[in-house]
Amino acid sequence: MSFESANEVPPIIETHALTRDFKKTRAVDSLDLSIRPGELFGLVGPDGAGKTTTLRLLAGLLNITSGSAKVAGYDLARQPEAIKRKIGYMAQQFNLYGELSVLENLSFFADLYDVEVSELRERTERLLAFAGLTEFKDRRAAQLSGGMQKKLALACTLIHQPEILLLDEPTTGVDPISRREFWDILTDLNLAGTTIVVSTPYMDEADRCLRVGLMYEGRMVVCADPQQIRARIEGELIELRPDDWQAACALIESLPGVLEVQTYGNLLHVLVDSADKRLPEIETALRKHGLTYRGVRRVTPRMEEAFISLIRRLEVD
Amino acid sequence: MSFRHLRAVIRKEINHILRDRTTFVLVMLVPTAMLFIMAYALTVDIKHVPIAVLDYDRSPTSRAFIQQVTEGEDLDLYAQVDSLDDIDNLLTRGEIKAALIIAPDFEHDLLSLRGIPLQIIVDGTEPKSGGFAVDHIGGRAEEFISEALASRIRALNVNVSLDSLQPIDLRVRALYNPSLKPRVDIIPGLISMVLGFPALSVALTLAHEREHGTLEQVLVTPVGRAEFLLGKMIPYIIVGLANVIIMPAIARVTFHIPFNGSFPLFFLLSAVFLFAILSMGMLVGVFMPTQPAALALSFLVIFFPGFFMTGIFFPIASMPAEMRMEAMSLPGTHYATITRGVFLPGVGLDVLWPNVLALLGMGIAFTAVAALSFRKKLG
Ligand SMILES: Nc1ncnc2c1ncn2[C@@H]1O[C@H](COP(=O)(O)OP(=O)(O)O)[C@@H](O)[C@H]1O
Ligand SMILES: [Mg+2]
Repeated sequence: MSFESANEVPPIIETHALTRDFKKTRAVDSLDLSIRPGELFGLVGPDGAGKTTTLRLLAGLLNITSGSAKVAGYDLARQPEAIKRKIGYMAQQFNLYGELSVLENLSFFADLYDVEVSELRERTERLLAFAGLTEFKDRRAAQLSGGMQKKLALACTLIHQPEILLLDEPTTGVDPISRREFWDILTDLNLAGTTIVVSTPYMDEADRCLRVGLMYEGRMVVCADPQQIRARIEGELIELRPDDWQAACALIESLPGVLEVQTYGNLLHVLVDSADKRLPEIETALRKHGLTYRGVRRVTPRMEEAFISLIRRLEVD
Repeated sequence: MSFRHLRAVIRKEINHILRDRTTFVLVMLVPTAMLFIMAYALTVDIKHVPIAVLDYDRSPTSRAFIQQVTEGEDLDLYAQVDSLDDIDNLLTRGEIKAALIIAPDFEHDLLSLRGIPLQIIVDGTEPKSGGFAVDHIGGRAEEFISEALASRIRALNVNVSLDSLQPIDLRVRALYNPSLKPRVDIIPGLISMVLGFPALSVALTLAHEREHGTLEQVLVTPVGRAEFLLGKMIPYIIVGLANVIIMPAIARVTFHIPFNGSFPLFFLLSAVFLFAILSMGMLVGVFMPTQPAALALSFLVIFFPGFFMTGIFFPIASMPAEMRMEAMSLPGTHYATITRGVFLPGVGLDVLWPNVLALLGMGIAFTAVAALSFRKKLG
């Protein structure tokens, strides 16, 4: 693999055939993962793919069914408590103590992580400023907006300056502006040297990662950088906005050279073997059937199309 | 054991109790309210029970008898009726709780020293009032009869003392008299029951953290299991002790229950009891995944046995042997003994030490099992 050129540094997270079963489901299936220090790794995949289970395993919250893993140099099965001081983990439904103020939440976690008392004040102030919460420090957590709660949650997981951050869908349910701010913070942290593993349902967020792993039914089906993933998409992409998208979709799918049609509301993304050749054919066919449309053009595939295409192919198999 | 971790958890939990209204009400107000409600509900004095009388005899003696039965505040003569049908009617409509039927030969039989047939019909749907009426009429009948007999005998010029004629010892009736303040006995026992509420809260708070996701966030920190569990328990011991100060005060002021023992001793022993019952609540919280489940199990192991097994309402001595064993393994049983001892006869450690040891043993055992079963894992 191309990444092994940088193998002077040992991986900070490494799993071998990591597997976790629940009663009926194999939530994580023989996962081999190697993450280098300082990486910003994105974990994507549909609901139930096993992202949360993977992160919980790495945080030492779940027992391993089989396989092994090393996190920050410690064995996950045998030394989970040692790992806990090295990582910051933010659960998918991170809930703060709503009756405690912003400051009280921070100092609660500072105490549990044994943060040096001499450093506490300075660090708290820095984190509050960093999360933009300084002026809300005495407000009860329950009374913060969703975006601010997520930032406070992040501040709490950062209070002991962990080497590794494991974040489970930290921006789900947050407004777009807070989402962007949150990712700016993550990028800063990552530039400062923190290794970050973050799961997300948003493909634009996956695009901001250094490397992305796509999980599907417990397995890691693709693990590469965003450009490589986009390059895996076969064919070229045409976008158009028909007025009757259902009829147009059915028609276009039946045309020669069309590999796949994806719908985004009334916007159609059509994957074809050659855009130059098929675009006029599609327009002719639509006109012949009296289907009106607007905004037809060639576009470059995004992560989103790439993933949907990949998952469709997996579902067919 | 890190003192800093422990203190952080305690402080967090105290803030939760003080600021979360539901929890505050449950641990501070509900025990007191329950004490009031149960004390009143269980010990209402029965008075003014309405009865009807069907007097077939209509003699001066029967009239005097009716007069004596309905004297005072206990029974009220609701109606003098002429037929059994009337009685039936009044009973069905709930206007009377019991009826007294006096046979035609009442006076004659009484004066000729024969047996006196009295019939009492009661409303079986209200056994308490009915039973009270039966006891009361029976008591008055005995008084009346012995007096009548005495005067009859005196009229025959036989020289006997009245006491030797008493057919039944009147003191037996005293035991059945509900106005003899059963509260004195019940309230100290009730205190041990209502202190189950802090224990319930502990079970609920742990389940709440699990359901709410805050537990997941705590489990990834280096906090120790015992630090976390003790830190959650200690605040509830403190609020429990606040109740321990309030409730004897209420017992004294409102119900006039004397407190004959040493209060510091009572306070100390209450702390021991709270430790035992809260570790039981903790055990429930460790095993139950959700609040409804924790609630159900708490009722099963904390309140339900507290009600039936701690000897508050049913004397332990009259239980079958297996049940007695089970009763002795419940913290409430021992604490009921302690509260009653300290409140009423004012006994001290010299008598109560076995109960104290039992409570300490249970507390340590339950806490140990809870801490060992509590894993820093999910699922
Ligand atoms: N605690 C659990 N008990 C039983 N099954 C679980 C549990 N957690 C997750 N699963 C199952 O494991 C699979 C993966 O779930 P999860 O890791 O939450 O996926 P994701 O985070 O990608 O949505 C799902 O099928 C889910 O139902
Ligand atoms: Mg998830």
